[in-house]
Amino acid sequence: MVSTQAGAGIGIANLPNQRHAIASKKGSNYTILLCGESGLGKTTFINTLFTTTIKTPKTYKRRFNNTAEKTVEIEIIRAELEEKQFGVKLSVVDTPGFGDYTNNRDSWMPIIDFIDDQHESYMRQDQQPERLELSDMRVHCCLYFIRPTGHTLKPLDIEVMKRLGTRVNLIPVIAKADTLTPTDLHKFKKRILEVIAAQNIQCYTFPLESDDEASTKRNMNIMAAMPFSVIGSTDDVQTVDGRTVKGRQYSWGVAEVENEDHCDFKKLRQLLIRTHMLDLIHSTEETHYETYRRAQMETRKIGEAKVKTVTNPKWKEEEEALRKRFTEQVRLEENRFRSWEQQLIAERDRLNKDLEAEHSHIKALESELESMQVGLSPKQRK
Amino acid sequence: MSHPRRPGNRKNVKKGFQFTLMVVGASGLGRTTFINTLCDAEVVPKRECEEPEMAHIEEGIKIKPYTVELDEDGVKISLTVVDTPGFGDMIDNEYCFQEILGYLEQQYDDILSEESRIKRNRRFRDNRVHALLYFIAPTGHSLREIDIELMSRLSPRINIIPVIGKSDSLTPGELADFKKRVMEDIAHHKIPIYNFPYDPEEDDDETVEENSELRSLLPFALIGCEEEVTVDGRKVRGRQYPWGVVEVDNPQHCDFVKLRYALLSSHFQDLKEITHDYLYENYRTEKLSRSTDSASDNDSGEEDEHSRLKEEQMKKEEGKLKEIEDRVQRELKEKQQELWTKEQQLMSLEAAQVQVQ
Repeated sequence: MVSTQAGAGIGIANLPNQRHAIASKKGSNYTILLCGESGLGKTTFINTLFTTTIKTPKTYKRRFNNTAEKTVEIEIIRAELEEKQFGVKLSVVDTPGFGDYTNNRDSWMPIIDFIDDQHESYMRQDQQPERLELSDMRVHCCLYFIRPTGHTLKPLDIEVMKRLGTRVNLIPVIAKADTLTPTDLHKFKKRILEVIAAQNIQCYTFPLESDDEASTKRNMNIMAAMPFSVIGSTDDVQTVDGRTVKGRQYSWGVAEVENEDHCDFKKLRQLLIRTHMLDLIHSTEETHYETYRRAQMETRKIGEAKVKTVTNPKWKEEEEALRKRFTEQVRLEENRFRSWEQQLIAERDRLNKDLEAEHSHIKALESELESMQVGLSPKQRK
Repeated sequence: MSHPRRPGNRKNVKKGFQFTLMVVGASGLGRTTFINTLCDAEVVPKRECEEPEMAHIEEGIKIKPYTVELDEDGVKISLTVVDTPGFGDMIDNEYCFQEILGYLEQQYDDILSEESRIKRNRRFRDNRVHALLYFIAPTGHSLREIDIELMSRLSPRINIIPVIGKSDSLTPGELADFKKRVMEDIAHHKIPIYNFPYDPEEDDDETVEENSELRSLLPFALIGCEEEVTVDGRKVRGRQYPWGVVEVDNPQHCDFVKLRYALLSSHFQDLKEITHDYLYENYRTEKLSRSTDSASDNDSGEEDEHSRLKEEQMKKEEGKLKEIEDRVQRELKEKQQELWTKEQQLMSLEAAQVQVQ
């Protein structure tokens, strides 16, 4: 092995810079999935995180119209963010309807299917002959919003988190944390961690050890704060001591978003954007996608379609409608054929009758002829 | 209008009043804490969290009554609070409504059977529930499906007062909007809640004002707290946050004080009267007419049975007659045949005789 020493090198060390130039020109894809009941501040959180209105708040005017459909929908909002000439194609996936109904059984299926579908779609694109323009919507991180009950995780939370944890980077978040006093919050976090450990839910973890001490310490801080308590707000309010901050104004004080004593928003932002965004993207591509690919490759051949096991109720309705139409059409055709057949039979009968009539006519003539002949012959005899 | 402290009614004051309140809502909305705050004592023990390994097991809804003796300005009240832990906590909550409804109707059934007894028990305890506080989650949006379902199903049997639990998660602006939307939802789905009814013509101004004020506060924003903290040197019941202290007894922070007064002093008589004169009467009428309907159905059934039997009998006899008829005809035919052959023989004999002669 030949090694070049420091000083006047040949420029190999410039490779990272070249990489940087390429990466920054290409930009990046980033997909975040928000999972949780409605009214937990998911939309507000995303808008606070990116300090811009990614998603508009809910409108209430049409809530009386649509009460029949009880489905969980997948809503995708795309945004392109740019900071210092580096662009990120951000996709935020929301799940309205999750956990909102009286019966929430299997309400997680659309979400699980969505995550798997993205892996599937990427896998198939990868197998195509032309694979330059890949559309990559694989979910890099899933934020699961927990209701601040102060007690423990609900059975629904546990069911869903178990399934999410094996497919995507799962980060549990305590929503609307300004409802919990510091002691309540501490107890709640401890409780949640106990349940997560006991139920074998896989949450996102990252390597703590880093090159410098400061980073290591910061990483440990961040890990210790899981699950993150968040307060979301896009409004500027005045605190008691005259500062203008992003926060929520109550009659008894101002809860600040960026105050580390009030909530863990800053730590979560660090995790999601500043320090661990790359790790989230990489672990999705390397770990989760590979796990999915391995599982699929073991059982399927290349090019074969995926076996759909569960049907989304929405599609089921359409399927039913199509099936009905199909049977209707078939029935109509059958009727047509039947009536045609009957027509033919009737024709045939009619012709047969005519034939018979002719036959009997002939017979009558014949017998007349005979009788005439008979009549003739006795006369001849006499 | 209806104030329990009528002057001169010392016997009642001494004996005290009885009032039953049911509290319903998903766990984590401050139900238990509210009960303890209302009674100013730890009536309901704090929830013991089960083992983490068992956290995924869904427990059904349980109905737990607790009785406590309160003293409100000299008036003794025997308050029974019925807690419903487990409501709305499962993945599929369809079953919860039936449980609660069954409990309420059970109490009505007990009274009904007691009333119909020949010799009534004087010490019979009236366990009918006079009011139901339904805890709405402070989502800030609008009512959820489970809220609407529960209130619609239970309102024919009980006075429902909707309240917002843990309302300290909403800023004053958000709270006002949320209250407005909740009332709009309730009106849209035509849910008959207890809205402090008053008659502008019949009642006096004071009552009208009091009731319309309470009505405007619906649904009541509640915060519960059992601990005391110190604020500006005074000791208050409240929750200490890093950014301030929320006081339970401060009418600017929440509606707890007003609700407590309405429930235990000013309106409990009204609630009891509505329960007895209207809700219970409706239930009684429905139940009794249901049983008479089923009785008359039985009678007409019997008649049908009778006529059917008769018809069957007639049919059988008809069949028998027909058989006999057929048989007779057959025999007749046979006899005719015989006669005919005999006749033929005779004729041939005759012909033979003639020829011989």
